[in-house]
Amino acid sequence: MTVTENPADTATAANTAAKPAKPPREQDPRYPRNRLAALLDQGSLSLLTPEDNSGMLAVTGTIAGRPVVAFCSDPTIQGGAMGHEGCDVVVQAYDRALADGVPIIGLWHNGGARLAEGVLSLHAVGLIFHAMTRASGRIPQISVVLGPAAGGAAYGPALTDVVILGPEGRIFVTGPDVVRSVTGEDVDMLRLGGPEPHGRRSGVVHVITDSEQGALDEARRLATLLGFQSQGTIDVSSVEDLDLADLLPDSPRRAYDVHPLIDHLLDEGTTIELHPRWAPNIVTSLGRLGGRTVGVIANNPLRLGGCLDSTSAEKASRFVRMCDAFGVPLVVLVDVPGYLPGVGQEWDGVVRRGAKLLHAFAEAVVPRVTLVTRKAYGGAYIAMNSRSLGATKVFAWPTAEIAVMGSIAAIRILHRRKLAEVEPDIRPKVEAELAAEHEKIVGGLDKAISIGVIDEVVTPKQTRSQLAAALAEATDARGRHGNIPL
Amino acid sequence: MAEQVRAEMVANVFEVSVQSGDSVHPGQTLLVLESMKMEIPVLAESAGVVREVTVKPGEVVQEGDLLVVLD
Repeated sequence: MTVTENPADTATAANTAAKPAKPPREQDPRYPRNRLAALLDQGSLSLLTPEDNSGMLAVTGTIAGRPVVAFCSDPTIQGGAMGHEGCDVVVQAYDRALADGVPIIGLWHNGGARLAEGVLSLHAVGLIFHAMTRASGRIPQISVVLGPAAGGAAYGPALTDVVILGPEGRIFVTGPDVVRSVTGEDVDMLRLGGPEPHGRRSGVVHVITDSEQGALDEARRLATLLGFQSQGTIDVSSVEDLDLADLLPDSPRRAYDVHPLIDHLLDEGTTIELHPRWAPNIVTSLGRLGGRTVGVIANNPLRLGGCLDSTSAEKASRFVRMCDAFGVPLVVLVDVPGYLPGVGQEWDGVVRRGAKLLHAFAEAVVPRVTLVTRKAYGGAYIAMNSRSLGATKVFAWPTAEIAVMGSIAAIRILHRRKLAEVEPDIRPKVEAELAAEHEKIVGGLDKAISIGVIDEVVTPKQTRSQLAAALAEATDARGRHGNIPL
Repeated sequence: MAEQVRAEMVANVFEVSVQSGDSVHPGQTLLVLESMKMEIPVLAESAGVVREVTVKPGEVVQEGDLLVVLD
C-alpha cells in the first residue's frame, strides 16, 4: 500500500536546507508544545507523554475551562513521520480521553509512516485507527490539519468527527511524486489535497480557515459545542422571538439563502457550519438555542433549488448520526422541492445514499424537531425528519405546503388529456382552477394536521420560542453507536 | 483572475440581471435561473467586473454550462 509515502519529508528538508542557521526545535512555531499551547487555555497545558523524538506529543489541558486531551505531531523530527513510539503516544492520548470521557483534539502535520521502521510503523498506525474507532461516538474527536497529512496521517483525521483544515493543510493518500510516477498527472499538493478540493469536492474537510490560529480557534468552539452542551438546560424564557418571515422572499417561487434563517434561529453568534461548500444544497450547522447545543439541518433553496441529491443526503446523514451519537438535539428546517432528477443522480447512487438519510433519522434517539417553512414534496418530505421517521415534533408555518408534488404539477399529470384540449391562452387560468380544486381534495395543512403528520402550525414570530420549548420538553437521549465517516 | 460562473443544474434562464462591464459585489444576483419550478438566483461569490454574459433569457442551460465570466 501507499501508506509509506513520505512527501512532507523532502519538502521539509528542502526548506530547512535553505536557511543559514537552524534555531532550536523548541523555538519553532510548529513544535508540538507551541501549537498545543495555542490551542488550550493559557497555562492549562500539562504533559501526558514526555517531550522526545517520538514525533508525537500528548497533553491534557482545558478549553474554556473544561478538560480536554490533545496531541500534536512533530514536523521538526523527520517531517513528523509516524513511528511506533509516536503512534503509541496517540493511543495513550485516546486511552486517557476515553477514561475521562472528554473531547480529544489531534493536530496533524506529518508525512505518513516512518519508512525506516517498515511494517512496524504500519502496524502502529493501524493501532491509532483502532483506537479512534473504539472512541467513535463515545467522545468528540476533532482533527486540525496544519500541514501535509499524507498516507496514514490522512486517514487519522478522516476517521474523526470533524476535520478542520488550516491554510497550509494538505491531505492526500499518495503525494504528488507518486501520482506523477504512476499516473503521469502533474499536480501539486495544493491542488491534490488543499482547501479547494477538500472543501468543495471530496467532503473530507468540514471547516476551512485562513489562518493557523483560526483553525485552532474553531477547534476550541467545536470542542465546546460538542463536549459541553449544557444538557437539560434550555432556558426557554431567554429565547427571544424574532419575525423570521422577513428572511424569506415574498414570492413562494423565489429561491433564497437559508443561512440568515439559521443564524437568526440560533443564539446570536453561536453558529458554526460544517461542510459549507460541499453539497451546499443542504446546510449542516452546530450552534446553541437557549444556551444548549443543537444541530441544524436545512435545505438551501439557493443551491440546486434545495433539492436533495446523493451527496447532500450523505452529508446530512453523517451529521445526523454524529449529533445522535453525542446527544445533540436536532432542528430540521424543511423547504424541499424533491429529489434532484437525472441520470447522473441515479447512477451516482441517490437511492443508496438517500437511504442513509432515512436510516440516520429513523435511528436517531435525540430530540429532533422539524419545521416546514414553505414546502415539502414527495420522497424528500419523508426524508427530512418527517413524523413517520419518528420526529419528536413537526411544526409548519401557516403557508407551508406538504404534498406528493406541487398542485400545478399534480393536475398536469391528472388532467393531461383535458388540458391538451384547452386553448393555450386560457390554459394558465384552467390550470389554476384545477389546482385550487386539487388542493381542496387532497387538503393542505388542515389535512396534514388531522392525519397527524403535522403537530402544530406556528407563526414565524413564535418559531424560536416554540422550537426551544419543544426541545426543552423532550427527554435528552443519546444514540449508542459509532460515527462512521459515511 | 477570471472567474467562470457555471450552471449547477439544468435550467431555463429566467432573467439576466447584469451586463458586461458592471461591477458586482459578493452576494449580488448575476442572473436568475428557473428550475424545479423555482426561480433560483445565481450570486457572485466574490467582487469583480462582469467580462461576459454568455446566456440570454429563455435559453436552456445544462449542468456545467458557462453563464457569466467575472474579472
